[in-house]
Amino acid sequence: MFQPVQGYRWYGYIAGALLVSLVVVLILQQTPPRFRKPLIRAITLLGGLFYALEFFLPTHPMPTPEDPQRVGNFLTPYVVPFGNTSVIIAAWTVGLGFINLVQVHSRRLLRGAEGAFNSAVLLISMAVMIVVHILQKVHPNAINKNLHHLLFDGALQSLDATMFSIIAFYIVSAAYRAFRVRSVEATFLLVTAVLVMLGQIMVAQAVTMHLPHNLHVEVIRDWILTKANAPATRAIAFGLGIGGLAVALRIWLGLERGSYFEAQE
Amino acid sequence: MDLLRLLQTIDRRFIYALLLLAVSAPFFLSIRIPVPISPQTQALYNAIEALPPNSFVLLGADWSAGSRGENRPQTEALMRHLMKRKLRFALLCFDPQAATLTETMAKRLQSEYGVQEGVNWVNWGYKVDLENFLKALVLNVPQTVSADINGTPVANLPVMQGIQTARDIRMILDVTPSETFKAYIQFVQGTYKIPMGLAPTSVMAPEAFNYLDSGQLIGMINGLQGAIEYEQKVGYVGQATRAGLSSSFAHLLIISLILLGNLAMLLQRRQRARLLEGRR
Repeated sequence: MFQPVQGYRWYGYIAGALLVSLVVVLILQQTPPRFRKPLIRAITLLGGLFYALEFFLPTHPMPTPEDPQRVGNFLTPYVVPFGNTSVIIAAWTVGLGFINLVQVHSRRLLRGAEGAFNSAVLLISMAVMIVVHILQKVHPNAINKNLHHLLFDGALQSLDATMFSIIAFYIVSAAYRAFRVRSVEATFLLVTAVLVMLGQIMVAQAVTMHLPHNLHVEVIRDWILTKANAPATRAIAFGLGIGGLAVALRIWLGLERGSYFEAQE
Repeated sequence: MDLLRLLQTIDRRFIYALLLLAVSAPFFLSIRIPVPISPQTQALYNAIEALPPNSFVLLGADWSAGSRGENRPQTEALMRHLMKRKLRFALLCFDPQAATLTETMAKRLQSEYGVQEGVNWVNWGYKVDLENFLKALVLNVPQTVSADINGTPVANLPVMQGIQTARDIRMILDVTPSETFKAYIQFVQGTYKIPMGLAPTSVMAPEAFNYLDSGQLIGMINGLQGAIEYEQKVGYVGQATRAGLSSSFAHLLIISLILLGNLAMLLQRRQRARLLEGRR
């Protein structure tokens, strides 16, 4: 259904997709709020129904040239196009997020409100990154590649890594202040945490290497993780699964409160 | 100020300085510590070793620079093992940064192992909508993936020859700091019972033990420590081994500070109790 194209056809497809997207957005914008909720409800219901029926309906052999062993039902051939469509819709949401971000920060910048400088940095960074990325994809010459390398590897990745690394400092400080043996439960937690941490580091493993096998820190760590932690997380996972199923059913059937533009009504 | 009270309220800036020292000091040391191989790491290594030559492996990489301390050495160790064994593999990323990060890594390693992009490996690039993408991938790989990161239709690539459905994938590997591996288990691994290995960050590993118990995961590289073990198995000194000592010192610092704070608190309590007893 969606075959990849190259060269001028690619540009044509991109232009066509943008045009269609624009028309769809305009139509949706013009839709009165009272029709939006049933429209989204219907699309959600149909989308969920497709996958539910495809999964639950009986299957029979459906050999294809690509997959002679395939089994499925009458909906199975549509899973791939449906998946591709949902990927496109998900990509759309990224675009909508981008538009929203630009709107919010442009407004703040134009008003000169608090944090306008940060908004300016965000908008400039975003514009530069988009332009440079497209340039290095379309014209991968040395300048564009180096510029992309500088911004993506040099700036973005380093900033991302730095931000997460800083958390380590807070964790150490917070662990030191919060981990106090004020009750029996807290003592259990502390002892378990220390044992798991020790089991996770090479120095402690090397130190206990010459002790009897059952006293090796990594053996104690594995015992805690598989015999104490795993059953507990399994129980939580069951609870979460049932809760998730209930929420999914509510969303699918349009019963969830506060969704689908209810705030606008 | 009372020493016991001081030990419970050490200035955070002093703690930050100690951590900085603990993490950076090992860079100037050249100590090699052999580590025991955990059963999970050994199981994953054995499973990859047992794959027939030229088998096709799906290597999911869903991490960004934020977790590269653990996920990069894990990815590199797995990639080196796949390249060393001349297994074909495809990179699939549900994080926009991962596509570029893994591409750079694969290009750096390919000359070392005499493998080639498009022939031995392919980067399917960044994809969105994890669940629906994987559900479609199971039924038709070339149509779902469509083109690789360079825009080349995957159906035309030699590395993809004979790969039509997920049934043709011999193993799934996912390197992730999040729960993406659960979607792989639900939609790909479960459909055709494809062997699957996982390389999560240490903080995510406890959640994965259930899947190891159930056999849905055949092995796991548990965080940085797992990466050190895997580097040892593959036979090279990589980023994980070099960072292992820094990680050890940082953990030891946390443990020491926690124990010190608690010891001071308990001693202070005892001191107060004695004082109260004396007054009575």
